[in-house]
Amino acid sequence: MLSLQDIAISMADGTPLITAVSLEAAAGETVTLMGPSGSGKSSLLSFIGGDLTSAMTATGRVTLNGKDILHLPPERRRIARLFQDDLLFPHMTVAENLLFAVPMAPQAERHAKMQQALADAGLEGFANRPPHTLSGGQRARVALLRALLAEPQALLLDEPFSKLDRDLRATIRAFTFDHIRARAIPALLVTHDREDVPAGGRVLEITARGEIRHV
Amino acid sequence: MRVLAALPLVLVFLLPLAASLLFVLPDAVNAGALRELVAHPQFSGALRLSLFTGLASTALSLLAALAITFAAGGRNLAGRAGVFLAVPHLSLAIGLAFLIMPTGVVARLFALLAGWNAPPQWVTTQDPWGFSLIVALVLKETPFLVWAFASLLNRDDLRRQFEGQQAVARSLGHGPASTFLRILLPQLLPRAAGPLIAVLAYGLTVVDMALVIGPTQPPVLAQLVWTDINDADPAVSARGGAGVVVLGLVVALVVAASALAAVMFKKVRQRFYGAAPRPGRGMPRGLAALWPAFLAIYAAAVLIMIVQSLSGHWPFPQRLPDVVTWKAWSHLAADPAPLLTSLALALASAAAALAACVAWLEWTPARADRVLAPAAVLVLCLPALLLALGEYRLFLALGVTGSAAALFLAHLLPVTAYVFLLLAGPYRAFDPRWQATAHGLRARRLPFLLRIKWPMLKAPLLSAAAIGFAVSVVQFVPAQLAAAGRFATLPMEAVTLSSGGNRALIATYGLALMALPLAGFLLASRLSRPRWSTP
Repeated sequence: MLSLQDIAISMADGTPLITAVSLEAAAGETVTLMGPSGSGKSSLLSFIGGDLTSAMTATGRVTLNGKDILHLPPERRRIARLFQDDLLFPHMTVAENLLFAVPMAPQAERHAKMQQALADAGLEGFANRPPHTLSGGQRARVALLRALLAEPQALLLDEPFSKLDRDLRATIRAFTFDHIRARAIPALLVTHDREDVPAGGRVLEITARGEIRHV
Repeated sequence: MRVLAALPLVLVFLLPLAASLLFVLPDAVNAGALRELVAHPQFSGALRLSLFTGLASTALSLLAALAITFAAGGRNLAGRAGVFLAVPHLSLAIGLAFLIMPTGVVARLFALLAGWNAPPQWVTTQDPWGFSLIVALVLKETPFLVWAFASLLNRDDLRRQFEGQQAVARSLGHGPASTFLRILLPQLLPRAAGPLIAVLAYGLTVVDMALVIGPTQPPVLAQLVWTDINDADPAVSARGGAGVVVLGLVVALVVAASALAAVMFKKVRQRFYGAAPRPGRGMPRGLAALWPAFLAIYAAAVLIMIVQSLSGHWPFPQRLPDVVTWKAWSHLAADPAPLLTSLALALASAAAALAACVAWLEWTPARADRVLAPAAVLVLCLPALLLALGEYRLFLALGVTGSAAALFLAHLLPVTAYVFLLLAGPYRAFDPRWQATAHGLRARRLPFLLRIKWPMLKAPLLSAAAIGFAVSVVQFVPAQLAAAGRFATLPMEAVTLSSGGNRALIATYGLALMALPLAGFLLASRLSRPRWSTP
């Protein structure tokens, strides 16, 4: 369970961006956040993830499975992120990208996890390929699997489908939501595209005044 | 952590810089020394020469660089300009002198054709008008400006803008020349103000090149001042101090006048910008030959240094020397101290500057650069003499003149300025989402830095280090003052030798001086080769 309580974010000059946002995402649930550009959706994800620019100030409480996480450095929050770009590390092979995320364990075990992830993505044989040689859809899948290999307890998705080709989107969406459900972790999805919303998923809208509205 | 990370640069860069500037203040208010300077019989001639050589070389370099950039028509010249940047000013001046001196290669070729038996009565190197100094400066500064323009034109954000704007201009009926002059040039020049001011300041105040190839009776002002500073007589040395301040003022005034000229231009710009479309007649053919011509002259200068370094007796007008000998090179090998000192200083100062700059860029917020960037630009635009004299006075006050630490610090200041200015852009532009992603994958800061960020920034890190290394190797003025005769470096030896007559030895030191930066650049480019080439 990812829970946000009374989150308020304001810009450097004090202009409020988000006022009093509270929401909860249950294990395996993907909650969608929509709203106009500049409404602070991405800033909210940065705040939860722990890398909000120091020019902004934020208050409120964020708990993950009942534990406060705001005092933790980003790498200890166990919240994985996906962005518009896949952000596969360009100087590492696919396998190295995946291994970068696999937690400490005997080497054989870590490799097995990496291989399993590749198989999940239907990318057996791509282990030693540089990321730029993969197609957009393949890269998107690797990015998601890399995020999941880190065994996160929540996932933040910042418009991860918006740069994909139209005909790919449905596949990658299904791939993503299936994995989130299978892992039973909460996820927050920020998007402009109503089609991104998972079937039966809750949708919240951030209004121009920075408040949250259930749709 | 932030304070701790900022500390190295504050201690080894900002503080010494501020202190050095403070320590030249007494020179600035020494009215007696200033009167002495003005009364110097060669003062007005030297000042005129400095203005002439500085302004002419800057104007010609700018014109040549613009012509080359235009002729390139969008091709990225940044990589090619690197080859030129690796050749130190001093080495180029030495090579050029061997080419054009009355007993040089050019004269020998003429002699062959015209049947001369004696060297011509040319006054080519060290000519009283400073023409050879201007040629040397133009040869050296043009590639630097080409590089600066190319780096700007190929910056991701600017490149897309410029391409779009040029396409629009062309679609409206403007030819390539009109598009270049009206669209690119006005956006390029203000952004290149820093490199242009650096070129201007360098041309107005250069010492080492002037000592090799500049006029002597009178010399340029920087050289006159340099002789004074190094005089044992305190009164003469004080006169030199006043001269350094005058040089600083000259640079400031010329920069201010140029800025004024730029503002004046804005008043007439409507006629210029609003001019009707002009399809243009294509590119003048000579323009495309300019860039290869630079390459050819550089190649000739290096080649003649190699030949000279191996030559024994070589009477005029023979094409080739009588004797080929390793004597000069074995001399260098027998006394490797200057080479090793230069190498050690360059390694140490490049490494220290890189570490200090990375610490600063990684752990301080970007707004901290607002303090550091202007300081670094100042180091590049101030006359080297001014800063070096301040350092020297500072070292005297601390009682460390002639110590290894003083020599190291004197090299570290300019090296740090370059490393910081080269690194700050790419380092600060590093997409923060990489860090968010890595932390999302539970990587801590250090593994993120070691395995993601620094490997991804490998190319800018290594090229900043290589340029820092090269900048250290070529330091002459600050090195000479700080060393106080207790250490010798390659440029100090090369300058000393160039006033003597042993051409083989001069050439050898000119080449050794060039070999170090070249090796640095080659190593850096070798190491920064990406794992695979991405489209």
